[in-house]
Amino acid sequence: MRGPLRALLAAVAAAALLLLPGWAGGLHGAFAVIAIMAVAAYGLDIVVSDLGEVSLAHTVFFAAGAYATALLSTRLGAGSWATLAAALTAGALLAAALGLVTLRLREFVFSLVTYAATVVAAAVAHNWPLLGGSDGVSAIPTLDLSVGPLRLAAGNDAQLWPYALVLLLLTLYAVRQFRRSRLGAMAMMVHLNPRLATMSGIDVGRVRLLVFVLSSLFSAAAGWLYAYQRAYVGPDLFETYFLVLMLTAVVLVGRRRLLAPLIGTALIVGQERFLSFGGDVNAIILGGALVTALAILPGGLDGTLRRLFARPAPRPTAEREPLPQP
Amino acid sequence: MTRPVLEARDLRVAYGGNVALDIPRLAVAPGELVGVVGANGAGKSTLVNALLGWSRGAPSVSGSVRLDGEEIGARPPHARVARGLALVPEGGAVFLRLSVADNLAAANVPRGSGRRGYDEEEVYALFPRLQERLHHAGSALSGGERQMLAIARALRLGPRVLLLDEPSIGLAPRLVSEVLRTVRGLVGPNLSVLLVEQNVRAAIEVVDRLVLLERGRILAEGPAAAMRDDPRILAAYLGEAVA
Amino acid sequence: MNLVQQLINGVVLGHAYALIAIGWTVLLGVARLVNFGHGQIYMLAAFVTWWATASLGLPYPLAILLAMGAGVLVGLVMQAAMLRLTFAQDLVSIMIVTLGFGHLMRGVAGLVFGGNPQVLETPLSLVDFELAGAWVTGQDLLIVAAGILVFVLLHYGLERGSLGRTARMVAEDPKLAQLAGIDVRRVYFAVFAFEGAAVALAAALVAPRTPILTSIGFEEVIVTFVVVVLGGIGSVAGSYVAGLGLGVFTALFGGFVSPAYATTAAFAVLIVVLVLRPGGLSLGGRAGR
Repeated sequence: MRGPLRALLAAVAAAALLLLPGWAGGLHGAFAVIAIMAVAAYGLDIVVSDLGEVSLAHTVFFAAGAYATALLSTRLGAGSWATLAAALTAGALLAAALGLVTLRLREFVFSLVTYAATVVAAAVAHNWPLLGGSDGVSAIPTLDLSVGPLRLAAGNDAQLWPYALVLLLLTLYAVRQFRRSRLGAMAMMVHLNPRLATMSGIDVGRVRLLVFVLSSLFSAAAGWLYAYQRAYVGPDLFETYFLVLMLTAVVLVGRRRLLAPLIGTALIVGQERFLSFGGDVNAIILGGALVTALAILPGGLDGTLRRLFARPAPRPTAEREPLPQP
Repeated sequence: MTRPVLEARDLRVAYGGNVALDIPRLAVAPGELVGVVGANGAGKSTLVNALLGWSRGAPSVSGSVRLDGEEIGARPPHARVARGLALVPEGGAVFLRLSVADNLAAANVPRGSGRRGYDEEEVYALFPRLQERLHHAGSALSGGERQMLAIARALRLGPRVLLLDEPSIGLAPRLVSEVLRTVRGLVGPNLSVLLVEQNVRAAIEVVDRLVLLERGRILAEGPAAAMRDDPRILAAYLGEAVA
Repeated sequence: MNLVQQLINGVVLGHAYALIAIGWTVLLGVARLVNFGHGQIYMLAAFVTWWATASLGLPYPLAILLAMGAGVLVGLVMQAAMLRLTFAQDLVSIMIVTLGFGHLMRGVAGLVFGGNPQVLETPLSLVDFELAGAWVTGQDLLIVAAGILVFVLLHYGLERGSLGRTARMVAEDPKLAQLAGIDVRRVYFAVFAFEGAAVALAAALVAPRTPILTSIGFEEVIVTFVVVVLGGIGSVAGSYVAGLGLGVFTALFGGFVSPAYATTAAFAVLIVVLVLRPGGLSLGGRAGR
C-alpha cells in the first residue's frame, strides 16, 4: 500500500474509533481505561519484546506518573501540562535509577530485582504520609490542557476519551517508529545476541538503559491520564492486579506485534467491564489467562523469551532469528 | 537368526521442520558390538539419543524402538534405563558436584529386574583410576577420568545394551584405542554395545558390524571386515583426514 | 519494650519466617524453581485451617493436616500446568505464571471464603506466660519447636542418604539424572507438593498471630524471598539462620526504629545483595559448562 493511502486509512480508522464509544451507547469510561492501560502496557511491551527482559517494575513507573499528577495538582494546583511533565520526569528518573542498578543483571535476577523494587515502592507508598499513605490522594481536579484561547478540558469520561485516544495513537506511532529506529534495531541485537552486539560496537549497557527509560515514559504518561480519569490515586496501584494486567496484556496475543498489547488490554478490561462475574471470578479469569498464555499455549511468551535449555542443543545449528540489519 | 536385543524401525527425528535422522531399520544382536560412524553432523548423536528418547534439545522423535522384543519407543528415558538401555552421552557427562563415590552410588540396577550391574570391585578392576579418585568431586576429574566414570556409571545400571556417544572425543590418540579396546572387552552374551564414533579408523578395528551414516540416513552397513574396503568407508576416512 | 523482650519476639518471628520459607528453599535448591504464588498458598491454607476449625469443628491438629493436604493439591496443580516450562528451566516464565496463579488463588479464596477478615484461634494461642519480661503464647513455642523439628529433619534428609543424592543430582543436571534412571518428572511433582505442604504447615501455625484476609500473603512471599536469597540458594541450614536473623532484625528494627518499614529495610538489603552479587544466586548460571 502506498504511503498517503495508508495515512488516510489510519485517519479514518482513528476517526471511527473516536466515535465508537458513543455509537456503542456511551462506553467512554471503559474505552478510556482500555486506552490508558494499553499505553501503560506498551511501556512494558518494549522491554519484554524488544529488550527481551521481563520488568516487573512498570507498575512503579505507572504509579509514579499517577502520584506525581495527583500530588502536584491537589497540593500545588498545578495544571495538566505541568503534571504531564512531572509525571514523565518522575517515571524517567525512577527508571534511570533502577536501570543503572540493574544494568548488569539479566533474565531471572533482573525480574527479581524489578519485583523487589515494586515491593519497596509499595511499602513506601503505604507508609509515607507525603504520598498520602494508605489513604492515597483523592479529589484530583479534571484534565485541563487549555493553551491560551484554545480550550482543551475534560470534565467527564466522554470528554476524556478523545485525549486517551490521542495518547494511545501517539504511543502506537512512537512504538512503531522506535522499532524502525536505530535504537530499536540495536535493542533487538542486544536482545538476540549481546556478544555480537558488543563486537559490532554497540554499548550494550547504554542501549538497555535508554530503552528502559524510554519504556518508562509510556507507563508514566498512562499513569498521568489515569490519575485524572479516576480522580483518585492510592497504593492499590501497586497491587498485583495492575502488574498481572500489564503482563497478561503483553503476552496474551503475541510478541512484537504492534497491536498485540492493545488487543490484550481490550480483551481483559472489556471482560471486566462488559462480561464481569464479580471481582473474584474476574481475578480467576485474569490469573488463568496469564497462566494459559504462558504455560499452556505454545508460542505465548515462550517464543519471546526463549529460554529453552540454557545449554546449547545437541546440534550446533541452534536456530536463531536472523538479525535485523541496523 | 537370533532375535535382536535392540531394534529400531522407522526412526525419525526432526528439529522444527528439519529432519535430522530417518532410519528404516537398525538392529543390534545379543553380544554384538555395532559401530556407527559418519562425519560431524551426520546424525550419530541424534541416533543414540533418540534410541533412549533423550536429548539436551527438544526434538520430535517418532518410530519404534524394541528392547528384547518389548516396545519402549513411547517410554520416557528413565523408564528405558530401568529396562536395560544405558547411554553414556557425549563428553562423559558426570555430576560435577557429586563425589566419584556418589556418582557411582547414584546408579543402580532397579530391584526385581533380574539383571546384575557392576559392583564396586568390578568397577575398580576395570578402571583402577576411579578408586584412587573416589572422594574427589566430579569437577576435579580429567576428561579421560570423566569418561571412565560415565561408562562405569552406565555399567552399574546392568544394561542389556550400552549406547556410547563418542567415547574417544577429546582424548589423546594413544588413549583412543585403549578406550575402544576396553569397550570391546565389555561386550558379552549379556551386554551388547552400540558405539558412535567419529574416528572410523579406530572404530573399525574393534566393532563387529559397521553402520555408515550420512545426513541422517544409513549410507552403508555390513560386517567390519567387509566394510574395510568399501569405497564409501574409504571416503569417510578421507573426510576424517580433512576434518 | 526492652532489648530482651524484642530478642524473644525476634526468635519467635524468626522461626515463623524460616518455616514460611522452607518450601521455597527446597523448591529452589532441588528443582531450580520459583513460586511467586507462595504467599497466596499461605493465605489459602490459613483460610482452610480457619474453616476446618470454625466451620467443620475439627480439632486443630486435623485442621493442620487438612490445610497441608490443600497445599499439596495446589502445588501439584501448579506443577502440572508448568511442566513444560520446568523442563525448559524457563525461570522468567515460571515466575510470571506463578504470579498469575497467585492472582487466581486470591480470586478463589474471595469466592470461597468471602472478603471478611477472620481470626484463627487455636487452643495454644490462649495459653500465655511470661518469659524474661516478654509475654509468650503456647502457639509461639509451637512455632519454634515445629521450626526446629522441620529443619533438623530436612537437613538430615537432604544432606545425607539416597534421597539427598537424588535431590542433588536433579538440582545439578536433571537431564543427566534421567540417564541414571531417575524419574525427574516425579521429583518435580514431589518438590512442588512439598512446597505446598510446607507453606501450608507454616500458615496453619503462624496465621493465628494475625487476622486472615484474602490480601495477606504479599508480605510472606517477600519474607521468603529474603530468607532464601540471604540464606544461600537452596541451603537448608542457611535459610534457618537467615530466617532467624531476619526475625531478630525485624523485631529490633520494628521495636526501635520503625515497625512500618521493617520488611522494607530487609528488602532494601536484599536488593543491594542481589545487585552486588547477582552470581550469588547461581541461577541460570548452569548454562556455563
